[in-house]
Amino acid sequence: MILEVRDIRKYFEVERGIFSQEKAIIKALDGVSFTVNEYDTLGVVGESGCGKTTLAKIILKLISPTSGQLQFNCGLITNFRKDVQVIFQNPYNSLDPKMRIFDIIAEPLIIHGIVPKDKLRPRVLDLLRTAGIEENALERHPIEFSGGQRQRICLARALAVEPKFLILDEPISSLDLTVQAEMLDLFLKLKKQLRLTYIFISHNLAVVRYIASRIIVMKEGRIVEEGPAGQIFSQPRSEYTKTLLDAARN
Amino acid sequence: MLVIGILSLIAIFAPFIAPYSPDRIDEASLLMPPSGAHLFGTDSLGRDLFSRMVYGARISLTIGLIAVGIATIIGVFFGSLAGFYGSWIDGLIMRFVDIMLCFPTFFLILTVVAILEPSIYNIMAIIGLTNWMGVARLIRAEILSLKEREFIQAEVALGASHRRIIFNHLIPNAIGPVLVSAVLGIAGAILLESGLSFLGLGVQPPTPSWGNILIEAKSTLGVAWWITIFPGLAIFITILGFNFLGEGLKKKIG
Amino acid sequence: MGNVPLLSIKNLKVIFQLDDQQIIAADGVDLDIKEGEVLVLAGQSGSGKTVTALSITQLLPPTAKIVSGTILFKGRELLGSNEDDLRRLRGGEIAYIFQEPTAYLNPVFSIASQISEVIMLHQNKSRKQAIKEAEELLRNVKIKEPKERLSAYPHNLSGGMNQRVMIAMALACRPTILIADEPTTSLDVTTEAQILKLLLELKKSLKFTLFFITHSLSVAHRIADRIAVMYKGKIVDEGLKDVIFSQPQHFHTKELIAAYEKIGKIQ
Repeated sequence: MILEVRDIRKYFEVERGIFSQEKAIIKALDGVSFTVNEYDTLGVVGESGCGKTTLAKIILKLISPTSGQLQFNCGLITNFRKDVQVIFQNPYNSLDPKMRIFDIIAEPLIIHGIVPKDKLRPRVLDLLRTAGIEENALERHPIEFSGGQRQRICLARALAVEPKFLILDEPISSLDLTVQAEMLDLFLKLKKQLRLTYIFISHNLAVVRYIASRIIVMKEGRIVEEGPAGQIFSQPRSEYTKTLLDAARN
Repeated sequence: MLVIGILSLIAIFAPFIAPYSPDRIDEASLLMPPSGAHLFGTDSLGRDLFSRMVYGARISLTIGLIAVGIATIIGVFFGSLAGFYGSWIDGLIMRFVDIMLCFPTFFLILTVVAILEPSIYNIMAIIGLTNWMGVARLIRAEILSLKEREFIQAEVALGASHRRIIFNHLIPNAIGPVLVSAVLGIAGAILLESGLSFLGLGVQPPTPSWGNILIEAKSTLGVAWWITIFPGLAIFITILGFNFLGEGLKKKIG
Repeated sequence: MGNVPLLSIKNLKVIFQLDDQQIIAADGVDLDIKEGEVLVLAGQSGSGKTVTALSITQLLPPTAKIVSGTILFKGRELLGSNEDDLRRLRGGEIAYIFQEPTAYLNPVFSIASQISEVIMLHQNKSRKQAIKEAEELLRNVKIKEPKERLSAYPHNLSGGMNQRVMIAMALACRPTILIADEPTTSLDVTTEAQILKLLLELKKSLKFTLFFITHSLSVAHRIADRIAVMYKGKIVDEGLKDVIFSQPQHFHTKELIAAYEKIGKIQ
């Protein structure tokens, strides 16, 4: 077990109008519980608004839940910001536009003191190579790169801290299909090579099918079905899962 | 940009350009119109106007730059804290900004100057201390919108300290509009200093400042047009120059 | 009907002028669209698909220049037409829908006013008539409770719904051809399926030609009659859907199909 999620709820208060005193409550997450085991790839599937991104941010401790607990395995996760990393969906907003690629990758190395100063450059080059970015990228800025390349840079940055657990929130949804396939293969390769655990969030069933070993299906802040990937696709139990599969199939 | 460039060069190289020392009194040449010997003419004490203006350029520009520098540093400091931390810190700082904005700053400056000795340093400090609020608001707004972008969240996830996030990521990305405001602010500061000097509350004679040269202009208006025209023109062109620079920067950034 | 294509693009060359650099966006594009068919233009980002589509009614940004080529619509040459003629075509006979509906819907106007504006612009109807027709159009695009939605604003509606509104606006004046540039790319897979289904149904009932641009062969597989593959500014493969999938000629088509096989469909 690497992570146990217990009955997480996240409610947002929203004002109904400029002059109204009434407040509406949006239940982004309404009682979500599941377990992630080491070296799993957990796929989280659902339409927009089902709460998947809110869940990711809570797991990453970027926002706090209204109620419920997160239990990380303290033997495995010793330094949270180092052991748990993230790749976000939007490649155009995930990198500081004013920084050079070298600095972007070097920064986490510096923050966590992973390598001494003289070893920074070789380590950065190594990370870029792993992610499939050419050497001459070092002096350039994010704006010169395509969406797929930027996600690779985000990947290199996340891998810099040598994480154990990677949360991927729709990391390829905004990319061309051919690039999506390349990135998925890269994720799979790295997972094996670096012995990582993944939570892979997507609205695209075919993508999740390709990469996940276990799947949870979310709808309106709740989990409606969970199980091994093959089973979800061949013997879906909930009506909602069946609707999703139908839509994806024809 | 050209204007500012030339102006800065003049200010820096003042001692080499000015043909005479600004204080040199030539009793034989009182109130002479522009001529070969005296490009801009002389004033009622026989001092060469051109030289005085060149040195005055130095003074005015320095005051403008430093005053705006002070204002920017204070503004960025308060604005970033307010924008980044939000909640009660934001509330507190913004109320402070509102209070400062309520003060009629010109009168505040007059009062302070009347109490303390008017000196160059006081002027710089005072203008700086009363003009940081706009900058604070600007940078707070930029930071509030930047905070929502994923790259800031990624920095948090990477374990970056608050200080690193503010100084290495938020401020460099937010600084654009602040720079534009600063450049335009220099124009304002120079105008303010000229006004104060004209009223006798700014730079004190014999140190030349375009503003205090104009003091004499009042009494000699009919007789010596050059004492009025040249400083006035200089102030006008400088302000225009900085405004153009600011507008140009705005286009480049936006 | 005959064999004259509805839209015929020949040797279209478009370049982008950036400072002192010239980027070739379309490099001699030859494409025919037959009346009544669904033609899917497939290719990666940057291949020139959008530029080709926008060139038809010259909606290109000022940095772009159409260097050469002809575009015949119903036998009439479009390149070189004056702005008035083009404006009459846009939204009239040639309608567009794009990827981000929120970029094209004005956030401060209600749905009703935006749809009715399009109607009043191209037809001689009063505001009241236009709004009534707007309600009917919303119903046609399967928006529930169309009357309530009329007074809503774009930010009140989901991405899928806004896209339906865009479709309603595009079809308001019964266009001959609907050009759809990646309209489902930023939508959920399930919403995408609904919108694609809707487009095909509307095409049947309103009888327009559909020119659909996408990077996903998955979408092409779902709706295309014919597919044209674009790569680096040129059309590299073209044919009936089944032929393209079973006998791809160009290596890039094979790449696209490989990705589709991997993650574009569920077995």
